[in-house]
Amino acid sequence: MGKFLLLAFRNVFRNRRRTIMTLIMVGGGVTGLLLVGGFFARMFWGLRESTINDGLGHIQIFTAEHFNREEKHVLDTGIDNWRQVAATIQAGRHVRGIAPRIEFNGMLSNGVKSGVFMGSAVDPVAENSLGFTPRLETGRDLDSKSGGEIEALIGAGVARSMSVKPGDGLTLLAVTSDGALNGIDVQVVGVVNTGFKEMDDRYLRITLPSAQRLLQSNRVTNLVVGLDQTENTDVVAAELAPGLRGQPQQLVLKKWIDLASYYKQVRSLFSTIFVFLGVIVFFMVLMSSVNTLLMTMFERTREIGTMLAMGTPRSWIMSLFILEAIVLGVLGAVVGVTGGNLLGFLLNHAGIHLPPPPGTTVPMAFRVLYVPGLMVGSSILVIVSLALAAILPAIRASRLQISEALAHV
Amino acid sequence: MNEIVSVEAVTRKFPLNHDRTKNLVSALREASLRVEAGEFLAIAGPSGSGKTTLLNLIGCIDQPTTGRILIDGVDTSKLSPARMSVLRREKIGFVFQTFNLIPVFTAAENVEYPLLIQGVGSRERRERVAQALQEVGLTARANHRPDLLSGGERQRVAVARAIVHRPALVLADEPTANLDTHNATQLIDLMHGLNRRLGLTFIFSTHDARLLEHTERIVRLCDGQIQSDTQVQSNSLYAKSLNEGGIHGQVLASSLS
Repeated sequence: MGKFLLLAFRNVFRNRRRTIMTLIMVGGGVTGLLLVGGFFARMFWGLRESTINDGLGHIQIFTAEHFNREEKHVLDTGIDNWRQVAATIQAGRHVRGIAPRIEFNGMLSNGVKSGVFMGSAVDPVAENSLGFTPRLETGRDLDSKSGGEIEALIGAGVARSMSVKPGDGLTLLAVTSDGALNGIDVQVVGVVNTGFKEMDDRYLRITLPSAQRLLQSNRVTNLVVGLDQTENTDVVAAELAPGLRGQPQQLVLKKWIDLASYYKQVRSLFSTIFVFLGVIVFFMVLMSSVNTLLMTMFERTREIGTMLAMGTPRSWIMSLFILEAIVLGVLGAVVGVTGGNLLGFLLNHAGIHLPPPPGTTVPMAFRVLYVPGLMVGSSILVIVSLALAAILPAIRASRLQISEALAHV
Repeated sequence: MNEIVSVEAVTRKFPLNHDRTKNLVSALREASLRVEAGEFLAIAGPSGSGKTTLLNLIGCIDQPTTGRILIDGVDTSKLSPARMSVLRREKIGFVFQTFNLIPVFTAAENVEYPLLIQGVGSRERRERVAQALQEVGLTARANHRPDLLSGGERQRVAVARAIVHRPALVLADEPTANLDTHNATQLIDLMHGLNRRLGLTFIFSTHDARLLEHTERIVRLCDGQIQSDTQVQSNSLYAKSLNEGGIHGQVLASSLS
């Protein structure tokens, strides 16, 4: 086997110029996949982290009822003993903090004009500790210690529609947990631009105590759990699940990926594009290698005839050609991975910026992630591609008529 | 003596075009030949007389259209391609007109190749390769690749490769065609020396009449038919020298360029 591998290795370098051209082609394919895949991976990472840090958190806790039925009244599927649940979760490993939230809706009015809102109530301290900061256009964030006036953040669309600015007042109307209508006056302290017009036209955020006062309930809709690292999500989820089963209410745990539908759509789209690129590289390597390997086979016809004449099994001849292709593939993969990492390093340090993505105003820095799985995967792709490309020449070589092959010029 | 080759009324026809059933030309017609173990036999004849066809058939790399060939008592017409391959591997050594060495292998690795495909262990391979290279006087050139060897040296490597596994039969198709007269004579002498010392059966083809005086038996072919089968009297100076104590391979090889 050792000598056979040696023979394959030396045969690969028999025609150096052709081998170098093949290596450039195969390596180029791997490099391309690594750069595109690395860029996509960086983009996925950025989108994931921004999705989580925009308020989704790593894990959210709900009551099971929240998903099983529609609420008859506001918060009637909310978490009752949420402080106790939060304390239990907070004691877990990797947990950075917990933010309770209430999701509600109602009407708002400036005294002249009315509109609907989709509100959320938060604990500003807990939100800030997890890095969930609203994207303020003007004004400031909510202050949990503020006395007197009830503070509110509103969306840019609401501010425009209601003709209000920070410092102005609004009246909120909502149905309480008992089914009665309740109202509170709030003071706008900031205007938020989420980047999504539909959301900005309905956005309202107040503090948790204010919402509980408005809705006449001590419950919360959900608890948002922030972790030290996204990679720990699965571990923490597995650890938390048994603890949640011991609570008076039946609670369920949702990981960020279960709730991040936009992230999943984007990832699915770009993954499909990447697979398409992979298929193109696969066939590019396959088709060009078939030609190269066939040429190699024709050039060595007499040599193959000699080997067959000496009694070399035909399966050995086939294996030799496939082995040579695999050696070529491995070398091409080494060239490609080296080239890809080198180019990635240069691009990462070239200070290239891409135009701002939709909904943001900050240009996106061009970054390529080093993904070991991608290096292994793209290497296997070209090795398999070359091995497949060698099948036809290998079969033809192994089926040569010995006397004709020996007479080949 | 032991009969190593038996060619029985063999005919080989080749198609002249792609339709393999029409326009057949006979390269060999009703040829019959028996070769005993240890013979040193030359097949002579002009180009196109059927020498290569006959050697290919004896070497089991082609099949007769009619007739049959027995190698060491085995009827090759009844063998599957895989069994034929095994027969060639174990019983036959080949020397080709254009040397046909594997260019990326060194001389030693080329000689080692038949042992490699027979599955011989590495230590035994090393010993037998060294011995074979010594037989042909190329020990010093063992690690040279074919492109660094002269034509005569390449053909001696080919001879070493053909004998390294001690086959029952060595077939050489025009082994001297690409050599000058001096090297051609030396090569035939080398093969004859190996035939005498090791008892190997050699069948080689040539169209060079000058080389025939170095042989013991000459089979003449013309237009695909065996015209004559002659035993040569060992009265030549060369034959006498072989019979009078033999020539050691190394001494002989050292005289080769």
